[in-house]
Amino acid sequence: MKTTAALQDIFANALDIADASERQAMLDRACADQPQLRQRVDQLLAAHEKSEDFISDCISVVAGSVGEMAPASEPGEDLIGSRIGPYKLLQKIGEGGGGAVFMAEQESPVRRRVALKILKLGMDTKNVVARFEAERQALALMDHPNIARVLDAGATKSGRPFFVMELVSGVRITEFCDADRLDTKQRLELFTKVCHAIQHAHQKGIIHRDIKPSNILVTPVDGEATPKVIDFGIAKALEEKLTDKTLFTLHGQFIGTPAYMSPEQAQLSSMDVDTRSDIYSLGVLLYELLTGKTPFDQGELLAAGLEEMRRKLREQEPPRPSTKIDTLGEAELTATAQRRHMEVPRLRSELRGDLDWVVMKALEKDRRRRYETADALAQDVQNYLANEPVSARPPSRAYLAQKFVRRNKTVFFACLLTFLALAASTVMSSWMYLREREARRMAVAAEQKQLTLQHETLQLESLAEEREKFMSAEEMYENGRRDDADALLEQVKQFQPGSDHATLYRELGDWHAVNGRWSQALERFAVLFQINNNGQKDTSLDDERCGALLVDQGRLNDYEQFRRDLVARNTGADNVQSAQRLIHYCLLVPADKAWLQNLDEAAALLRNSLQDEAGISRGNWENSAFALALLAYRSGHFAEAADWSSQALARSEGSQPREANIRILRAMSSFQNGDKEGAISELDACRKVVDDHPATPNDPAHLRQTDWYLWLTTKIHLREAENLIKK
Amino acid sequence: MRPGLRPVILFHHLEMANTSNRLYPARVEMSEITMILQAVGRGERKASEELLPLVYEELRKLAAAKLARESAAHTLQPTALVHEAWVRLVEDGSRTWENRAHFFGAAAEAMRRILVDKARRRARMKHGGGYERVDLEHVDIAAALPDEKILLLDEALEKLKLEDPDAARIVVLKFFGGLTNEEIVQMLGSSDRTVRRQWSYAKAWLYDCITAGH
Repeated sequence: MKTTAALQDIFANALDIADASERQAMLDRACADQPQLRQRVDQLLAAHEKSEDFISDCISVVAGSVGEMAPASEPGEDLIGSRIGPYKLLQKIGEGGGGAVFMAEQESPVRRRVALKILKLGMDTKNVVARFEAERQALALMDHPNIARVLDAGATKSGRPFFVMELVSGVRITEFCDADRLDTKQRLELFTKVCHAIQHAHQKGIIHRDIKPSNILVTPVDGEATPKVIDFGIAKALEEKLTDKTLFTLHGQFIGTPAYMSPEQAQLSSMDVDTRSDIYSLGVLLYELLTGKTPFDQGELLAAGLEEMRRKLREQEPPRPSTKIDTLGEAELTATAQRRHMEVPRLRSELRGDLDWVVMKALEKDRRRRYETADALAQDVQNYLANEPVSARPPSRAYLAQKFVRRNKTVFFACLLTFLALAASTVMSSWMYLREREARRMAVAAEQKQLTLQHETLQLESLAEEREKFMSAEEMYENGRRDDADALLEQVKQFQPGSDHATLYRELGDWHAVNGRWSQALERFAVLFQINNNGQKDTSLDDERCGALLVDQGRLNDYEQFRRDLVARNTGADNVQSAQRLIHYCLLVPADKAWLQNLDEAAALLRNSLQDEAGISRGNWENSAFALALLAYRSGHFAEAADWSSQALARSEGSQPREANIRILRAMSSFQNGDKEGAISELDACRKVVDDHPATPNDPAHLRQTDWYLWLTTKIHLREAENLIKK
Repeated sequence: MRPGLRPVILFHHLEMANTSNRLYPARVEMSEITMILQAVGRGERKASEELLPLVYEELRKLAAAKLARESAAHTLQPTALVHEAWVRLVEDGSRTWENRAHFFGAAAEAMRRILVDKARRRARMKHGGGYERVDLEHVDIAAALPDEKILLLDEALEKLKLEDPDAARIVVLKFFGGLTNEEIVQMLGSSDRTVRRQWSYAKAWLYDCITAGH
């Protein structure tokens, strides 16, 4: 605030003056006619004198009380034994983010043990509270035997929010299966229950986002082993879209479980994570239940560093379950099989084939290829258990036949015998063929249905993916990985970049140019040109880059289009600089008289602006005169061109490439006028300047990123001049 | 209301299996602070809100760990604690000046909260428990207890923040972060003269504010 700044200044200045009367005088001057200000300053000065003691006191108090941060003051401990409504806190059983979870005893209306999650002390930032609330709401929406239920919610007297859940005493699903030596079939049964629970959540519009073994506890319910999904702490309601770039759930995933993170969760923005991300995690769970390992080793992922981890999750194909177990050492393999109550060979053969395919389908990098729903995944698992065909594999004749045989072994063999007995093969085989054809038809129909369902989201998804690619490219560029950023940008086709994306294209384009990779540079600037066409209404240095490159690369058809677009973009522009540039960038190459009329408006603007000699800067004079000279030259008015060039030169500001341009133009005009000798010598001088200068497009190593295109235009003009002289 | 969400780190239901309760952060959580710092550096609004509770938690754990080892509590200085946390929690390659600024800013603020909360609780208990606001109006400044002093300071600091947030920030950094002038100068990219002037002003202002009602 202005008043505060003034006050502070006066106050501080006063303090600097040791002599009392001098200080008074200064204050009288500074606060003349402002009695309130003076009063305040005096007040503060007085306070300052007395404050030292108090302040140093406070500092030592603070210093001393750090010891108070001991565990005894953990808010958790404070609460043990205390009551919150009808709940008595018994023991702390966990904590995290902003909340702590306790085992509590509910006293009324029923007596039972529950889990109570409460916001920690000091954690009352809006953000944390909001998150806490969101978790509670997410849980309250659900009602499923395999999901921990919310029983109650409220706030303590001091306003700390809490909620109460069903207390689940159980064992992690993976550990349960191992400890009880469940075989594959039993594990799969358990797994389908988990799928159904997740399906329920999805139907309520909640994505769990953190499915992993520690979040699925198995507990006996009426004697039956029941999995319970807990901890929807990072679940997100589907309707609420995070539009900022947030990294929170990303953090969350990184904390314990990158191994369970879906490829799209490993991207930079969490905008497009949907239910299929949970399906991926379910796939990882299934993988672990079957093989004892996750597709990617967690330790390896964490050790690799952020970017590498992301890359692996998004690009590297994990080994199939049956392949994975082969990578285990002998001892470990035997142990793994034992934990599944079987021998190694059997484990191998069970995993190979259908189970492999089911798991891999859930783990597809491209989420459109995964199971659409958790129920679909559960269904395929059930299919496997019932020896029905699984959707995860395209149904070939032989495959379906194989399934058919297995399903109906006894029937099949009976038929076979009959067939043999009858020796009338046609009846039998056509019956089998019909069944198989039916099955295939159904499979195709199912696939069609999937396709139509996905059709609408297809466009949006690929657009979103491209947007995401762009952001990845930005990130890479910032980390100095220019090649990678550039390569990624190549892949972006559909995406319509806007002006916020211009910078990356420009930077990469400049980078290419400076390294002499002209055609790649041109590609980037072509995009930039489009962006500018869609956005701004006049010209910029971007256009010089684009135009110069097009001409230098010999893309004259494209250059024609370029200058047409540039003119269109500039209709009605009233800016002198834009007019200068428009004319210059459009006339790097000759144009016919009719087309030149497009530039009349700009030229008139420039002529008018030059009337007022005094009001223009030298630079502007130079550029405007040059533009008019160039236009005159293209129109065939060589004398006029020479004249304008001289005027421009007279007011030159000293930029070498620009000056060279003017002199080259003047030389060409002189030549056309008949003064061939003068022209040639002037041109020689120019060439020397250009050659002497280290930073020209002939030697990209020395180009500065901000200069290369200026010198490129000079090169172009020089080339034209030399061709003219040769003739 | 946008739920920027983060999971419960450990299992929050009773588990038969053994879970090693780490008192001190493992390598995994170190990455988290670094990532949040980077996010803050990129200007992501929500990231800075996220930083505070995390730093808060780490400081408490660190204090607890140190106390468990060193029996003499008076050797525990806020400066030392915050600096140690900085070194422990942020990897070598990420100790940029920018990150340092964000981290210490959050740490000082966290420290403030911890101490103020503690003081408030104790003051309440002294006044008979319950959850009413402590009545600071009738406190004699000279005879004020340490707890009350902190609370008075905190209240005044909140007011200062409204009028001059820059000066308030310096107060927090000095008081609760234990930073020297040079460190503050480097962190805020300010000048020594400016910092000194703001600090003098702030001191006078706070004292004036605190004594105003008495």
